Amino acid sequence: MLKNYFKTAWRSIMRQKVFTMINVTGLAIGISAALVIYMIAVYDFSFDSFHPKRDKIYHVVTNFTFSGVPYKNGGVTSPLGGVIKNEIAGITEAAPFYIANDDTKITVPDGTATPLNLKKQDKVVYADARYFNIFQYKWLAGEAKTALSTPYKVVLTQKQAELYFPRLTPAQVIGRKVIYNDTVNTVVTGVVENLPGNTDFVFHDFISFSSMGVALSADQQKYNQRWDNTTSASQLFVVLDDKATVANIEAQLEKLQKKYDPNNGKDFNGTQDFKLQPLKDIHFNSEYATFNYRTANLTTLYGLLAIAAFLLVLGCINFINLTTAQAVNRAKEIGIRKTIGGNRKQIIVQFLSETFLITVFAVLVSIALVPLILKFFTGFIPEDITVGMLKETSIIIFLILLSVIVCLLSGFYPAMVLSGYKPVSVLKNQTHAGTGKTRNAWLRKSLTVTQFVIAQFFIMATILVSKQISYTLNKDLGFKQDAVLFVNTPWRENNADKKQVFVNKLKSFPQIENISIGSTPPSSAGYNTTSVKYIDGKKEIKTDLQLKNGDENYINVYKIKLLAGRNITKSDTTQMMINETYLHTLGFKKPEQAIGKFIEHGDTKDMVIGVVNDFYSASLHSPIKPLAIVPAWKYNNYVVHVALKPKTEGGGEWKKAIAQIQAAWKEVYPEYDIDYGFVDESIAKFYESEQRMSKLLAWSTGLSVFISCLGLLGLAIYTTGQRTKEIGIRKVLGSSVRQIVSLLSKELVLLVILAFVIVTPLAWWAMHKWIENFAEHTAISWWVFALGGLAMLLTAIITLSFQTVKAAMANPVKSLRSE
Amino acid sequence: MPKSFNNNMLSLQHISKYYQNGPNKAYVINDLSLDIEEGEFVSIMGPSGSGKSTLLNIIGMLDAPTDGYHYFIDQPVHQLKEKQRSALYKQYIGFVFQAYHLIDELTVYENIETPLIYQDIKGSERKALVADMLDRFGIVGKKDLFPSQLSGGQQQLVGVARALISKPKLLLADEPTGNLNSKQGEEIMELFRKLNKEDGVTIVQVTHSEKNAQYGSRIINLLDGRIESSITL
Repeated sequence: MLKNYFKTAWRSIMRQKVFTMINVTGLAIGISAALVIYMIAVYDFSFDSFHPKRDKIYHVVTNFTFSGVPYKNGGVTSPLGGVIKNEIAGITEAAPFYIANDDTKITVPDGTATPLNLKKQDKVVYADARYFNIFQYKWLAGEAKTALSTPYKVVLTQKQAELYFPRLTPAQVIGRKVIYNDTVNTVVTGVVENLPGNTDFVFHDFISFSSMGVALSADQQKYNQRWDNTTSASQLFVVLDDKATVANIEAQLEKLQKKYDPNNGKDFNGTQDFKLQPLKDIHFNSEYATFNYRTANLTTLYGLLAIAAFLLVLGCINFINLTTAQAVNRAKEIGIRKTIGGNRKQIIVQFLSETFLITVFAVLVSIALVPLILKFFTGFIPEDITVGMLKETSIIIFLILLSVIVCLLSGFYPAMVLSGYKPVSVLKNQTHAGTGKTRNAWLRKSLTVTQFVIAQFFIMATILVSKQISYTLNKDLGFKQDAVLFVNTPWRENNADKKQVFVNKLKSFPQIENISIGSTPPSSAGYNTTSVKYIDGKKEIKTDLQLKNGDENYINVYKIKLLAGRNITKSDTTQMMINETYLHTLGFKKPEQAIGKFIEHGDTKDMVIGVVNDFYSASLHSPIKPLAIVPAWKYNNYVVHVALKPKTEGGGEWKKAIAQIQAAWKEVYPEYDIDYGFVDESIAKFYESEQRMSKLLAWSTGLSVFISCLGLLGLAIYTTGQRTKEIGIRKVLGSSVRQIVSLLSKELVLLVILAFVIVTPLAWWAMHKWIENFAEHTAISWWVFALGGLAMLLTAIITLSFQTVKAAMANPVKSLRSE
Repeated sequence: MPKSFNNNMLSLQHISKYYQNGPNKAYVINDLSLDIEEGEFVSIMGPSGSGKSTLLNIIGMLDAPTDGYHYFIDQPVHQLKEKQRSALYKQYIGFVFQAYHLIDELTVYENIETPLIYQDIKGSERKALVADMLDRFGIVGKKDLFPSQLSGGQQQLVGVARALISKPKLLLADEPTGNLNSKQGEEIMELFRKLNKEDGVTIVQVTHSEKNAQYGSRIINLLDGRIESSITL
């Protein structure tokens, strides 16, 4: 019986090629979007799901507040790792480890003069057996208990061992030497298999924990013994026993902290708390960062799911619309089927199998589209997601479920309508009369309006997001962004003389206008804040103050205006220039009033020598805050800021200047690779997520408009078909083509306008919500909506014209003769 | 309470069908009673609007009367639920239409097979039954053609074959020759007579043609929803 259903379904699908294509295309777009997004979700949720004790493993992290501003750190104070297991009840295992910084130099001596030398290596950690107790690796050589028990030992992952010693088996690798940062001479004592599956634990060199005493500088070691020093390099994972609760452990941690660090928080006017982060949260929480750099964002994931759902709904709406519009054509068949004994259930099953067939088509098309989508959205979709995932059981089950859901969603209503026809009225050709048809038309219209609401929402959102991006990139930030380069000198070789040699070399290049040594550029991702107070005689004004370090050229390189007082000079040490915001915070009206006043921070007092104009010190997500520029030589600064002269026609000068800078670098720092960037490009990077969102929105817009227009075209084909005779009569009576086109388009155009009226307040509300993320934002202008509505209207009219013009141009003799 | 009689195939008692038109009732069938015995061949005649097709549809259970009692093979149709009525109908009644009403997407073979599918008859059995029917109507060679590839007479032949495939006791025909030329029409009528005489199928046909009406055993003339005359030939 089912075979028979599919045969009939196949034939009627083939008879309606255009409608079938519209339906398949619409559904396929939605399904492929859902499929790829599901693949992303499966991928992200698979992270670290294979550890044997995964539900009991927690990451100990630190939450701070500095003067009321929360700040989170994925690390803990180093001494905690040593005492946590003994002093806190409910913890069965604790594994502290220390992440080496990300420009570790690795040398693999091979007896020759040119050993394998790797620079800027990351994912190197100091760890020991405690780490391998919690995270279980398969050991190919060596054993977890002893491999890292004493200093100068290292365990490698299989892949890393193959990289260092290409032709050796794991057993042969044991006993070989690996040197880190020229000073830590280690011997390989173990090789582990890389973790099986997606993981954020991507370390590949495990140096014995006890080697740290030698590897780290004396300063760092001193800091690492202090309870009031936290670095994200110092990590701690624990395993709770079955009875322990997170709240209980956190309460114990609070007591522990009070015991060892009674002054905690008082020294920096804030608080510091240890928290337990569940293992499964690590991949989704960017606040504590992962070791793999990429965290998944649940909000983005939900946003994507919403987009997929919308596209699917659009496809289903097309299907419902076109199928019910065509129902009259199928009515006769249904009448016959009922008179020869078919009952309603059998007819519903028949139509659902037809829908199912179309859905299966759409699924096949979607699967074929997946490689294209993955290729197109590289950069947005994690690299590890490949076509191969389609073979996974979970994906196959998802596709089957999705097919059934889509099939029911789009097929159920049309099947109910069609199977409900009374055979007598059908056979008497009465289907046009009665209320049935008008009710369908009403439903079709609401569905069409829904489609256009979704499509116009996407259009408007895209316009606004692009408007905001262009606003942020063109906004005057209060300093010069273009034609400024910054070069990061190696912090490992933080030698003032060398820096000066480098700067002096640059000074001789004709293309360079000015040079400054300082901290980060005026706008930067991270910033340095300290709490300060000012006593104006009666009351004390306590605030946070952002600090930028610069020399006497800093404000000249960035063309920051001095409003009063003087610039920093070489002899300054306890002086500062403040910005207007801080000036106003201090209660001064005129810049001159602040000059000569003293600002206290810590034990020192700095004198205000100058006031500069306000500039944005971070992305436009945050407002301008009190800020001071302090003399660069007070701190270790390793950024060289270079202002280039304007490009002339042809523009080869910058290239030449960069080449010269690189050559100078090679002479001064032959050991290191140059690390430089343009300031305006680094600022554009603040808005990467908005740029990505914009790209994604543009695609969603394109697709939703496309699907909606397909549906519109389908409806137009249907209505013009229904009105062939009417068009013929009107033409005979002297109607022009234009009048007929407008007659045919009027109703559908009205639906687009109605959708506009509905979507405008919705879009306005959503835009307000989104734009609140920015301290500085573009206006939600009326023309954003007008443009969106107009764009949709034009697209709709053009789409309609394909069909209406054809119908209007048709020779009336032909259409009337057949009647 | 009126009762049906055992020798009757069907019995309509005081059947009315009307539409409320403001304060007035527009009668299509007006207090009509009719008994048809097994083996009869009844022709219903009458001018347009006299209620012929409605009467046929009521007999065929495609349409329900507003008032009255309807018995079919001792079953009180007016009391049955949709499902039971449909089952009764499926088992005993076949329909032939003026416009043939074949399903355009299906071949001759499949059109004839469809009623059997709806009766959940197994594939092998269906094959045998359809093959028999094709053979009997001499349309074996046409079995893979679609309706649009057939002449009107051939289409109606398929229509009759389809109506007979489930071995109905009652065959209802609504102007079966209305769209055919006279020769094709005669062939269909000959077929009906044969079915009635040799296979004992009870037939009720609506017709405009005096000549076709003569093939039957009784002619009922309708006027304004009432039986004007009933002549047994």
